[in-house]
Amino acid sequence: MTSVIIAKSKLNDFLASLKSGYQVLGPIHQGDMIAFGPVNKVEDLALPYSNTRLSIKSVFFPQSERMFGYSLDKEDADAGIIKETPKEYPNRVVFGLRPCDAKAVTLVDVNMDNPQYQDPWWVKRRETTTLIGLGCEHPCSTCFCTSMGSGPFDETGLDVLLTELPDAYLAKSLTPKGEQLLKQAKGTDAASPAGEKTAAEIKTKAEQALPKLETAKLKDKNMMELFNARFWERVQFACINCGACTFLCPTCWCFDIQDEVSKKAGDRIRNWDSCMFPLFTLHGTGHNPRDHKVQRVRQRFMHKLKYYIDKYGDGPACVGCGRCVQACPVNIDIRNVITLMNEYQTSAGTKA
Amino acid sequence: MLEYVDKIRDIARRLLSENKVDVVIGFRQGSVPMMSEPAVISRPEDVDELYWDYNCGINLTNYLTKRPDRIGIVAKGCDSRNIVTHMVENQIKREQLYIIGAPCHGMIDRSRILAALGDQEPTKVVVNDSEIVVTGPGLERKFDRKEYLQNNCATCIHRNPVIYDELLAAPVEEQKLTNRYADVEKIEAMSPDDKWAFFDKMLAPCIRCYACRNACPLCYCPTCFVDEARPQWVGKSIDPTDVRTFHFLRAYHCAGRCTDCGACERACPVNIPVRLLTKKLNKDVEDLYGFEPGMVPDVRPPLDVYRPDDPGGFIK
Amino acid sequence: MSGNYYARRKFAVMKGLLEYMGLEPGRLQFSWISSAESTKFVEVANTVAEEVKALGPAKHFIKEKAEVA
Repeated sequence: MTSVIIAKSKLNDFLASLKSGYQVLGPIHQGDMIAFGPVNKVEDLALPYSNTRLSIKSVFFPQSERMFGYSLDKEDADAGIIKETPKEYPNRVVFGLRPCDAKAVTLVDVNMDNPQYQDPWWVKRRETTTLIGLGCEHPCSTCFCTSMGSGPFDETGLDVLLTELPDAYLAKSLTPKGEQLLKQAKGTDAASPAGEKTAAEIKTKAEQALPKLETAKLKDKNMMELFNARFWERVQFACINCGACTFLCPTCWCFDIQDEVSKKAGDRIRNWDSCMFPLFTLHGTGHNPRDHKVQRVRQRFMHKLKYYIDKYGDGPACVGCGRCVQACPVNIDIRNVITLMNEYQTSAGTKA
Repeated sequence: MLEYVDKIRDIARRLLSENKVDVVIGFRQGSVPMMSEPAVISRPEDVDELYWDYNCGINLTNYLTKRPDRIGIVAKGCDSRNIVTHMVENQIKREQLYIIGAPCHGMIDRSRILAALGDQEPTKVVVNDSEIVVTGPGLERKFDRKEYLQNNCATCIHRNPVIYDELLAAPVEEQKLTNRYADVEKIEAMSPDDKWAFFDKMLAPCIRCYACRNACPLCYCPTCFVDEARPQWVGKSIDPTDVRTFHFLRAYHCAGRCTDCGACERACPVNIPVRLLTKKLNKDVEDLYGFEPGMVPDVRPPLDVYRPDDPGGFIK
Repeated sequence: MSGNYYARRKFAVMKGLLEYMGLEPGRLQFSWISSAESTKFVEVANTVAEEVKALGPAKHFIKEKAEVA
């Protein structure tokens, strides 16, 4: 793994050279918000920035995506045969995402790309996308990444990590993909030991500035007792059951599949879905196992902070990016819920 | 409005200890600047959780729908008008409620302040009568409070509760405004193509999270039309036609009922000014039928009644 | 009879909102025609058809295929 320096004055050369081999995406201004979008030159980038309003997940898992198409035209020999919608997978690089988002992508990999099931579109987009992360020198007050097994300079899931120095970026390659990218890119110079030392100091300082939430006890809680805890009543009251938290969350991966037919052709489309919506669990019979708001609110937190940990021996399925804390219209704060769950007294053991 | 905090707590304590109500619904202080959390309190010893400031823009009437118990509720002018609407629409009974009226000075617009700060993050926001003082790491900025009110508060003419059992303070002076609909008129003056393009751009960021719908006290249907499967009225993707159909119908369902409380706009995680749709309806309902929603409990809503001489020039 | 009056209010407000959102005036039309008014029906049908033809094919609130990824 090598480190190079990209002088800020040469960042345009760097980006231009990437463009010869990749589509370049990065944080750009979109109205009042910052979102991932195409980047041609430095001026397109919304730098400095804290984080994007929506997470990186749509780069791999668009909110609405055509999966299959079919013809219903009786004249058509292939009528009624469902065919995968052809997709393009250009080489892409995401420049300047935050390390928490990259960590989140690896948590979603557990669902989308595992020995049993591989989501073909997620997998192909992951393969053809190179992630250049930008470490957070100044995490937000709502960030709690270090408590969630990530951090402002977390390397998990990234191919290259950038640390911003006064006049340059220190770029450290972390994977063969990242190594290859830096080797081919223009505008790079050899890193100096002084630069690496400064970067290490920035990292330590940023990590120390972050608050520490205790999560260690989550894995040993008795699941059923936590499930039945009385505090859920209090947590759920304000919730309006919108999907803001789940749609902004980088680790929420649920989707719903819909057929849309127009005239003599149809499409099978998947759309992000949210466990906050009553429809999410509605059975064909009309029965709804999560008919009440409290059940849905509990599901969201239990999934991230207990079921994921118990099922995969990893996690939690939260990276502490703070998006839901910022965007929840009624200020339901996952940090408070984490503490409530972690401090709740149950008898030992994860089994019911 | 901070002086309301102690009074809200005193009243809540009294109501709960004297068993006049089963619960009190109000706000808890936010965990981040310019936010607050709707809260329900059922024990006198918990009333100190209640709070009040310039960030209580969520409409608490949303939490009243079909509740069976006796409720104390803190209500601004707009919340009180939605309580009236709820009574008219049989969602709650007056005798279940003890309304703690909060004469309102207007709530501050968090999204506009955050946008003005750009990348700088506020960690503390203090609001006084004239200023909003925002501080954070390397940040100290002052905003004129009146300039940074929520858009609906800036054009509000019913800041005092229209129905209450007790007021937290003497009524505030109502704003005298010459034109509350300048933003709507600007759109009305556009050509059809420009109008279409304007709303295309406005709705483009929508992620169909339904925060606007769910923050609205008017949206209490057991199954919303967007969730109906047979028939499916509107697609669920982010296709622009489906997104627009959702926003058109959501707004239309509020026609003649909307109090312009601004909860929808405040709730939107992607800053869409959704009130530009409902406000057009408010303007038309006012112009055509002289009706303002939520003002009196014994008048049917305007789309539930008619007069033989209603304007009808558009019918051939 | 009263249904027509209720509908008039609902349509007035709906037309206002649709045209505010960019639907071309003339695209959406309303008429009261009783079962005894056959000549009026013909007249209105012809006028509406002519006016809509003049506007050209509808391009708003039309979805052939979802515009998604």
